Amino acid sequence: MQLIKDFVNGIWNENPIFRIVIGICSALAVTTSANNGIAMGMALTFVLTCSSILISLLRNIIPSKVRIPCYVIVIATFTTVVDLFMKGYFPALYNVMGIFIPLIVVNCIVLARAEAFASKVGPLRATADALGMGLGYTWAITLISIIREIMGTGSVFGYKILGAGFTPWVIAILPPGAFIVMGILVGLMNLITRKTANSADGR
Amino acid sequence: MNQYVKMIVVLLVISCASGAVLALSYAVTNPKIQQQELQKLQESVLKVIPGATKMEEVQKDGITVYIGLDDQGNKKGIAFPASGSGFNGVIELMVGYNPTEGKLTGVEVLSMSETPGLGAKITEESFTGQFNGKSVKDQFIVKQDVQAISGATISSTAVTKAIKASLDEIVKLYPVGGDF
Amino acid sequence: MAKELFFIIVGSIFVNNFVFSRFLGNCPFLGVSNKTETAIGMGIATTFVLTMTGVAAYLIQNYVLVPFGLEDFLQIVAFILVIASLVQLVEMIVLKVSPTLYNAFGIFLPLITTNCIVMAVALLIPLNNYNLVESIALGFGAGVGFTLALALMSGIREELEFADVPDALKGPAIVFITAGLLSMIFLGFTGLVPLA
Repeated sequence: MQLIKDFVNGIWNENPIFRIVIGICSALAVTTSANNGIAMGMALTFVLTCSSILISLLRNIIPSKVRIPCYVIVIATFTTVVDLFMKGYFPALYNVMGIFIPLIVVNCIVLARAEAFASKVGPLRATADALGMGLGYTWAITLISIIREIMGTGSVFGYKILGAGFTPWVIAILPPGAFIVMGILVGLMNLITRKTANSADGR
Repeated sequence: MNQYVKMIVVLLVISCASGAVLALSYAVTNPKIQQQELQKLQESVLKVIPGATKMEEVQKDGITVYIGLDDQGNKKGIAFPASGSGFNGVIELMVGYNPTEGKLTGVEVLSMSETPGLGAKITEESFTGQFNGKSVKDQFIVKQDVQAISGATISSTAVTKAIKASLDEIVKLYPVGGDF
Repeated sequence: MAKELFFIIVGSIFVNNFVFSRFLGNCPFLGVSNKTETAIGMGIATTFVLTMTGVAAYLIQNYVLVPFGLEDFLQIVAFILVIASLVQLVEMIVLKVSPTLYNAFGIFLPLITTNCIVMAVALLIPLNNYNLVESIALGFGAGVGFTLALALMSGIREELEFADVPDALKGPAIVFITAGLLSMIFLGFTGLVPLA
């Protein structure tokens, strides 16, 4: 079924972080702990889904020449809504994320899906795609966060799992660690996808 | 001509709708945000003034301080905000001061965006605790009378300088041994 | 004053490099850093947009948003619209001045709008309470740092073309790992900017 295909697409095949490699800035910056990863993923999914649905509903009304400013206003509005609600109801989380919540407005994923997909299909497909991409993004950055949190602090989701004898590799939660973990994971994804493609060919 | 009119109308309608949604969201969330901030302020004041259960905001010579009171209404100390540029942005603090004894009674980091695992350690008791009971007449220089966090000298120095700068102002208003 | 400005600029180029320390500007960083000429051209165009964004953000925040009490909920929308307009302006200028350059940039010129660095600079100005000159310094420094990052990366990538990179790591993967190593080097600049 088309809707299911649209949904699953963003989770694996066209995973925004590991396959298309967009929306990276937030993936590197807030993935210092698994909690942050999940929170960021949910915030982005909310903005992505709402924007995609609205843009899809308005796709026949918005003239092509002004479509980018219109998309941008829609996306910026939902981003601000998330920003305000997080500030009011989840202040601790909001303080950790810093400017990366407002930066959702320039997260390449949102604008890219609006331009490439949501503006061309009906709202149901747009929702499926947005949810899939959002989920794909969320699991990807949560994975990165888990790795960085374990290596960098010996705990995951705030629970200490490695004993006191473990000296944390602080570099994992510093910028270089983010880049390197990212690079390795992208490489791994390539390897896995290549292997499944090869075995599908019967090689 | 028609297409230009359509473009402008669509843009205007979307902008107005956006403005309306945002104004509404703001109206809904702002009271909660203010409440959070007040709560955070109160918690930090009570934390840096031992024995205080209530706080009272006081403006003196254009500077805002918070007097900490206990249940009987006795004054237990003063709290004042301090801020300075750290390694990665502004660090905001709340500092507790007891003029009668001429000592600091506590330091709490309100907000910061220092490096996790290094500068971010300024929020930990192992760093802020050293300011408890510190005489306001001390130098407030890192590596002399203040211990820095290893690997985070810049963050440690930023906190120390911020405290000293505001402290100098506050001591003028509430000298040691004087009334408050 | 000059000392603070110097530190803002040097700080954003080296100590807090927007790409290697703040994780911003990754999409164009990946997309354009394969050829040095395009990389440097992109860097210069972005620096231009960034410096103007510094001015624009300061003016909008202090003369429009704050006086009308709008800064809490219209900041994001206002900033992004201004940035989009500035990029449109730069596009028109580049097209007029050098159509070849315009073609070389392709889609990456309009993509400056979604370059997180631009929005981040806009947001950092009210956050740090910078005045007009400091705002310009931040925008300019961010741009130079970005250009430096692009130049370094493209130089390395051009050499990597001849290296024996394992298949799975070709493309974005090796770029990230290289960026990680460069980021480690930039970490060494910590402490370069002493507190005034």
